[in-house]
Amino acid sequence: MPALEPSPTVHATVVCDRREPAPGIVILGVRASELAANVRPGQFVMVLPPSGERVATALGVYEASDDRVSLMLVVVGPRTRELSSLGVGDAIELAGPLGNGFDLDALGNDVALVAGGVGIAPLLLPAQRLLARGARVRLYYGARTSSALVDAELFESFGASLSLATDDGSRGHHGYVTDPLLRDGAAHTGIAACGPSPMLRAVSRVAQTLGVRAQLSLEETFACGVGACWGCVVAHGVDEDGAASGLIATKPPSSAVAEAGDGRPFTYVRICKEGPVFWAHELRW
Amino acid sequence: MVGRVAARPDLSVSIGALQLTAPTLMGSGCYGSGEEYAPFVDLVGIGGVVLKSVTRLPRTGNPTPRLVPVAAGLLNAIGLQNPGIDAYLERDVAKFADRPCAVVGSVAGFSIDDYAYVTERLAARDEIDAIEINISCPNVAHEGETFACDPNLAARATAAARAVTKKPLIVKLSPNVTDIRAIARVVEAEGADALAVINTVRGMSIDVERARPMLGNTTGGLSGAAIRPIAVLAVWEVAQAVRIPIVGQGGIETARDALEFVLAGASAVSVGTGNFSDPQAPLRVAEGIGTYLREHGHASLRAIVGTANPKFLATR
Repeated sequence: MPALEPSPTVHATVVCDRREPAPGIVILGVRASELAANVRPGQFVMVLPPSGERVATALGVYEASDDRVSLMLVVVGPRTRELSSLGVGDAIELAGPLGNGFDLDALGNDVALVAGGVGIAPLLLPAQRLLARGARVRLYYGARTSSALVDAELFESFGASLSLATDDGSRGHHGYVTDPLLRDGAAHTGIAACGPSPMLRAVSRVAQTLGVRAQLSLEETFACGVGACWGCVVAHGVDEDGAASGLIATKPPSSAVAEAGDGRPFTYVRICKEGPVFWAHELRW
Repeated sequence: MVGRVAARPDLSVSIGALQLTAPTLMGSGCYGSGEEYAPFVDLVGIGGVVLKSVTRLPRTGNPTPRLVPVAAGLLNAIGLQNPGIDAYLERDVAKFADRPCAVVGSVAGFSIDDYAYVTERLAARDEIDAIEINISCPNVAHEGETFACDPNLAARATAAARAVTKKPLIVKLSPNVTDIRAIARVVEAEGADALAVINTVRGMSIDVERARPMLGNTTGGLSGAAIRPIAVLAVWEVAQAVRIPIVGQGGIETARDALEFVLAGASAVSVGTGNFSDPQAPLRVAEGIGTYLREHGHASLRAIVGTANPKFLATR
């Protein structure tokens, strides 16, 4: 993939719109024309804490157009509660765009997007870009319950087809989102997924079964978000020189090779810097 | 009494032969090599970057999770992941040739010989302005911190590094000791040019739902505002015990935080975890110190070092 280097920077801006599509889920629109122009599908921003907190909050960029980007967050603790209470006109500081993003060219022309919960956020831009270049896109979207399936119709309005799943059976398949993926996934030329770690591991297994390559956007606690602290790592395959192999759109870091329990060599790569998107078959987790 | 107000107070600091134009260093392990933060902050405005520690051999680092945010702080157990001194010198050091601020190499080790070997090789490079030896990493089983907790080993590690370089030598001390003054004295006696006070405080957190430790390494080091009072006390005590400069660190996020350390006896300060929530923190700290000096009629930062610490002043 061509190394189109974005120019990350701190954007001091304001919230320009806010909606709450489901209880505990908030979408904040912010004015950020430079960010909107530069962000690649799957990249994220660090939202700097409004007051006195230690750690910024990493959020995938949801929508990006003209002078606006939006961020989707689920209220899970004090930091996200504070962010979710921001209203139109409130100040907000974002650092980004950060991370590598998806390699859309490598996904082919019949793509499965797989989302769990708010893992839907970094998949909208890929859906739009893929559809714009004529690819077929099916969104496999799972959540706890029907009301938490946020904006499924928005994806449909752009031309994606839907396979929905809920834990409680209130909408779509009653069970895991990977069930319908396994059922008809072999037709796809590539998979791009974002969601909680157990779901991503399941997607990885399904992709292997189907013989389809998958790109996974990983979630982890970030401290710096820019590759400085080595706190957010994942075990990753290496090439014969000991460098991380098959990374997406970034160069391998200098690192150290170890051996996993299964005897395969690995190195720890930074999710915030070399990722957050990795080929599923390169992960040694 | 308020003296003549300087238009621009002098914020420069000397640490041995190391001249810093600003009193703020970036703490080791929190700033990568500086380039990670370069898009977000003008490195010209900070005193220097202390690089992530390098060891003799490559290190994979600790299993995940490596980070746990806790009340007013951050627990980490990275485990000194680094490519080893050979690859580090070959691939990473050359990029500091055009450095906009001082670059301090950080050396970690598991034997006295490690400290000598890695210090000698790193200090030999022109791109490296000074050396900090990290004798106090709490996250590498029993080996790493042993050197900072035993006066004899602390002295030998310092002497080993001192013997192989004339560049300014900073020794980073651990708060996880009974009497940090005793360690500080022997390290000074063995020729250290400055002391970094403090490294992280040992800690852990437990996942109550799953009834097991949160960190992959079980234990970790606590940083952030939670440890600031511990660090200020450590600087206060060490400043009374030694004559060499102190780089104060531990939970510094604002200029007022930094000033606590300076008034306790630190000549310079390091910002570490504070960068994570605000990449501009080092610049804001330096600027805020300047404002404080102006408002209080001081011409230089040097003029207020240790002025809250009578026993420190009595030794000067």
